[in-house]
Amino acid sequence: MILLESHSVIIHDVLTDRFEKPSRADIQFVDYDNVRFHLSTPQSKAQVLLSMGIQCWPDLVKFGAREHLQQQYAGLLLGEAETEPEYNVSLLIDLEKLPATPEEQTELINQISLLKATAMSAPFLSAFAEQATLQANYKEPAGAQQMDLQPSEHKGELKVVRYREEEAIYIQASHDHVTIIFSTVFKEETDRVYGRVFLQEFVDARQLQSLQSAPQVTYSNREPPLEIRHIPGLKTGEDWGYVTFILFPRHFANPTKALSTINRIQLFRDYLHYHIKCSKAYMHSRMRYRVAEFLKILNRAKPEVAHAERKTASGRTFRTR
Amino acid sequence: MSNTLRPYLNAVRATLTTALTLDNFASQMVERHNKPEVEARTSPEVLLQPLIVSRNESERVLIEPSVNSLRLSIAIKQADEIEKILCHKFTRFMMMRAEGFVILRRKPLPGYDISFLITNFHSESMLKHKLVDFIIQFMEDVDKEISEMKLSLNARARIVAESYLATFV
Repeated sequence: MILLESHSVIIHDVLTDRFEKPSRADIQFVDYDNVRFHLSTPQSKAQVLLSMGIQCWPDLVKFGAREHLQQQYAGLLLGEAETEPEYNVSLLIDLEKLPATPEEQTELINQISLLKATAMSAPFLSAFAEQATLQANYKEPAGAQQMDLQPSEHKGELKVVRYREEEAIYIQASHDHVTIIFSTVFKEETDRVYGRVFLQEFVDARQLQSLQSAPQVTYSNREPPLEIRHIPGLKTGEDWGYVTFILFPRHFANPTKALSTINRIQLFRDYLHYHIKCSKAYMHSRMRYRVAEFLKILNRAKPEVAHAERKTASGRTFRTR
Repeated sequence: MSNTLRPYLNAVRATLTTALTLDNFASQMVERHNKPEVEARTSPEVLLQPLIVSRNESERVLIEPSVNSLRLSIAIKQADEIEKILCHKFTRFMMMRAEGFVILRRKPLPGYDISFLITNFHSESMLKHKLVDFIIQFMEDVDKEISEMKLSLNARARIVAESYLATFV
């Protein structure tokens, strides 16, 4: 498995099961970036309550996450007052009022299992919308001087989503592109070195002919990129990496494309770290194999002791203790 | 094999074979003790002249013979940060399994990456030429292994980056 899936497999499987045969449930589970889920049937077997606790909820609300969820999960989303305590979003699925055909049911399950991705997509969608308005209002500057005078006019608001304790996504729309910056921390020396190798490949991969239309990627460690340098409290140091993606309008030209871009890009950090961990595991198994080989070579140095069975005159054997 | 590696390994092999003339020798300081003199360093008269065989600045072997034991320390080539990490991990991995490798020292000498300690008991219970073969084989393979691991890391990173970016096209 090279690419990570953006839906939650647990939600998908449990709901598929429950849609066929309602039964009691009280499951707590997690997803990437400290997202907590709680799936329960508080009142009756037919009423499935799915709650999600997400760390960056205050940030997401600012960019219209609740409205977006309301739109996506109309009829399922519970109001703020009814949301389960300690969680941010609750969906109530009534198993007695399911859509009739199996296709529609599968569609509903898929949609619900993308709950986290949908919540996280709000700031991206608002940045894409902002880019569209900026582009519409943008006029080619008459002279270079004018551009110098008002350089910041064509930039959208900088959106910050603190999706982990220390790491954040910065999103900024401009008249012809959307900039997405990830800050990520490498906790270990090895992770840092491996991370640098991986990020360098991300930068280089775009030189391939087939990937010319992929988003532009740049990375810097120690120094944050210029777009976000004015933000106070940014971490700098050996362990920090900043990855910048530049999305062009062709990456979110239609809603389907925009959705797949968002789902892909919000998993970038998890994807990077997942593969760093995988490489470490692979190196480990490789070392294990190599060390076993060395041990075999060393054991060849030990002369083989001939084990002739010793017997007494009457034919009895000795037992070595 | 590159043309500088062969003479280097040959020199190590010759030196090691010559130095591996170990005898049982009880401690002169403590009665009824038998310690590897090269480690104990209690009687200077039983220590022989240490010798460094070096291929270049970063790759060298230090051989310290004594009357009943021999210490061999290897500095492994580390061209960049990745190789440094891989080499450190690999040697650490081996030294944590020093129980199995009877001649492996649990800690390397300062300035070296891995050390072996061969005592007269080892050279008595194992074939001397095979022991030398092991050391030479180790030196050959460890370089190969580290550069292969580095290549595989790069290859993986490339595939990961390409398959991720390809989803945007």
